[in-house]
Amino acid sequence: MELTFLHLYPDCMSLYGEYANVMVLRRHLEAMGAAVTVQTALFEDAPDFEHADFIYMGAGTERTQKAALTALLPHKEAFQAAVDRGAVALFTGNAMELLGASVTDAAGRVWPCLGFAGFTTVEHDCRYPCDVVACTDLWEGDVVGFMNKCSATLGVDTPLFRVEAGTPGNTGNPDQDDGDDGEGYVSGGVFATHLTGPVLVKNPAFTDLLIRRIFTAKGWELPETLPVLPYEKEAHEATVKGLVGPRYAGG
Amino acid sequence: MKLFLAVILCKLLRFIGGLVGKGSSLPGQFALKVCPDALGRVKLPPHIIAVTGSNGKTSTVEMIASILAADGRKVVYNKEGSNQIEGVTTLILSNCSLGGKMRGDVLLLESDERYARHTFKWFHPTHFVITNLYRDQLTRNGHPEWVYDAVKAAVFPETTLVLNADDPLVSCFARDHDPAKVKWFGLDQCSVSAKEHRGVYHDGARCPVCKGRMEYSCYHYAHIGHYACPSCGHRRHDTDFAVTALDLKEGRLVINGETEISLAFKSIYNVYNILAAWSVCALAGVDRAAMAGVINNYMLKNGRMITFRLGNHQGTLLTSKHENSVAYDTNLGYIADTGKPCTVLVIVDAISRKYFTGETSWLWDIDFDRLNCGHVRKVMLYGKYCNDLAVRFKYSHIPADKIEVGEDIPTAAAYLKENGDEDVYVVTCFSDRDKLLAHVERDG
Repeated sequence: MELTFLHLYPDCMSLYGEYANVMVLRRHLEAMGAAVTVQTALFEDAPDFEHADFIYMGAGTERTQKAALTALLPHKEAFQAAVDRGAVALFTGNAMELLGASVTDAAGRVWPCLGFAGFTTVEHDCRYPCDVVACTDLWEGDVVGFMNKCSATLGVDTPLFRVEAGTPGNTGNPDQDDGDDGEGYVSGGVFATHLTGPVLVKNPAFTDLLIRRIFTAKGWELPETLPVLPYEKEAHEATVKGLVGPRYAGG
Repeated sequence: MKLFLAVILCKLLRFIGGLVGKGSSLPGQFALKVCPDALGRVKLPPHIIAVTGSNGKTSTVEMIASILAADGRKVVYNKEGSNQIEGVTTLILSNCSLGGKMRGDVLLLESDERYARHTFKWFHPTHFVITNLYRDQLTRNGHPEWVYDAVKAAVFPETTLVLNADDPLVSCFARDHDPAKVKWFGLDQCSVSAKEHRGVYHDGARCPVCKGRMEYSCYHYAHIGHYACPSCGHRRHDTDFAVTALDLKEGRLVINGETEISLAFKSIYNVYNILAAWSVCALAGVDRAAMAGVINNYMLKNGRMITFRLGNHQGTLLTSKHENSVAYDTNLGYIADTGKPCTVLVIVDAISRKYFTGETSWLWDIDFDRLNCGHVRKVMLYGKYCNDLAVRFKYSHIPADKIEVGEDIPTAAAYLKENGDEDVYVVTCFSDRDKLLAHVERDG
């Protein structure tokens, strides 16, 4: 069982420890007997989408995000072909915004993006960092994480999560609550969330979901139970306890 | 009249606050309600020095104050660390005559990175020292470039910038500033310099101007070093004030090739703080010998190292701000350099003392592998976030059999009290340190 990960721009799109998502998924898959190779691509490289089974990009500063976009756009077709072939992709933090139609920066410049979905993002000059509690139809239990967002994403038809506390969702701005509690984006094997940092570390059920999708795409048989690695569930539960406790009582 | 009332109110509330031991922000907050433009109306001293940056503000300000005081200047500064506009207002109005003239020769301000623009809307510093910008409290600060933009809004053309040349992001402040009004400090290549970057992440990997690949001829720590961008030409500027030789083990440095200083604290941070203080005091006209007299073996009053006894252990608590991986890395490096058998206790219980968050991604930015050395016999991970720590350590190279995990801090203290006599290092934040110190006998 051999797998290839493609980690896009880890030298600068890993602003909140996002590299850990790649490490944790890899460790889980290795515990299942898979041999995982992680390829990294820098801005100057042509990413090898052809052999990628899992594609990941984390968060960057707003300026770095635009540089990542500029580097990635010429490889849009190759990326799309990989997704069509069944590769699983996860984009977290403001990397999510690149999957949509455009990002308008705080100065008003419109940056056309990959266009995998029709949603658009507008940056503003305020940040709304917050802890987030959410849920999803894709697994049982709470989703926890942190959002460090200075933008509003609008027009997501298929959100990944439904937010229960901390942020109004993809608009990211308590003053711009459009009543839509959707957060992130999912379509087939493409997953995106504006949650920053090691989302998979914080949510072992999300790791399990990606494992299932990767196994399915490869046509491999899934074992009855997936590996449970030490301390991960306990860490998730401690965070849930902290966030769903008194601070978020009444949501 | 409004200013007069604001001054009276501020002084009165400050007096009452002093009696009941309350903080220093409230009087300024009320005074600003009475006279919102009070800071624009008062007459300030001829020298206004501000210090900002991710790390080292408090220490640098303390040293500048000591040097200037030794030179006979009357310095007014926010020694209580209230560095947002309300605290600064309290400081200034408390030191004003009823006519609105501030006493003192120098107003010295430790300035919050994100709020400096609010304070300096009303008056502009004559000198603005910017020490460094890196990942620090990202739950409130966003990221270093966000902080850069916030500080940039507080930079005015008439201010002389005193910049750390070794920080590529800090150096950007000079890009559209009058070059005659920029002074640079930095560390020459020396014994602490390394060819390779050390750390889990590298915020200097990309040029902050063009995002091209940055090249370094040497690193002093983290992304601080000698850099040049081959794409756009952004590079380390030549220095006006330099540490030209450094022996951190022996605790000696030389400034500008002529003044030797002994270090009471042998940390690279301390080197930069000293150099920043030296630079701005030299610009303020203080004599070299007078500066050296104060800085030599300078003991910081806000020392963040606390020694204690716990059972048969000699203990050292190294205060390492949570959400600040550079502070952690420095303290872990200190433990690695001791070379003596020890146990390390890492506590993450409350991530901040000022606000609540469950955000622990910063643990992944810390280079815990620095503890992967023979003399570190045991690593104890404690506090509410012990499991997050334990997961993080699973991805370090530290053998699992050295690691112990538990939530209850008193249990860790009781265990150590009853077992062993090796040195103990405690690595934690202001928010959590008293939870351990309550169980020890402090030295001195």
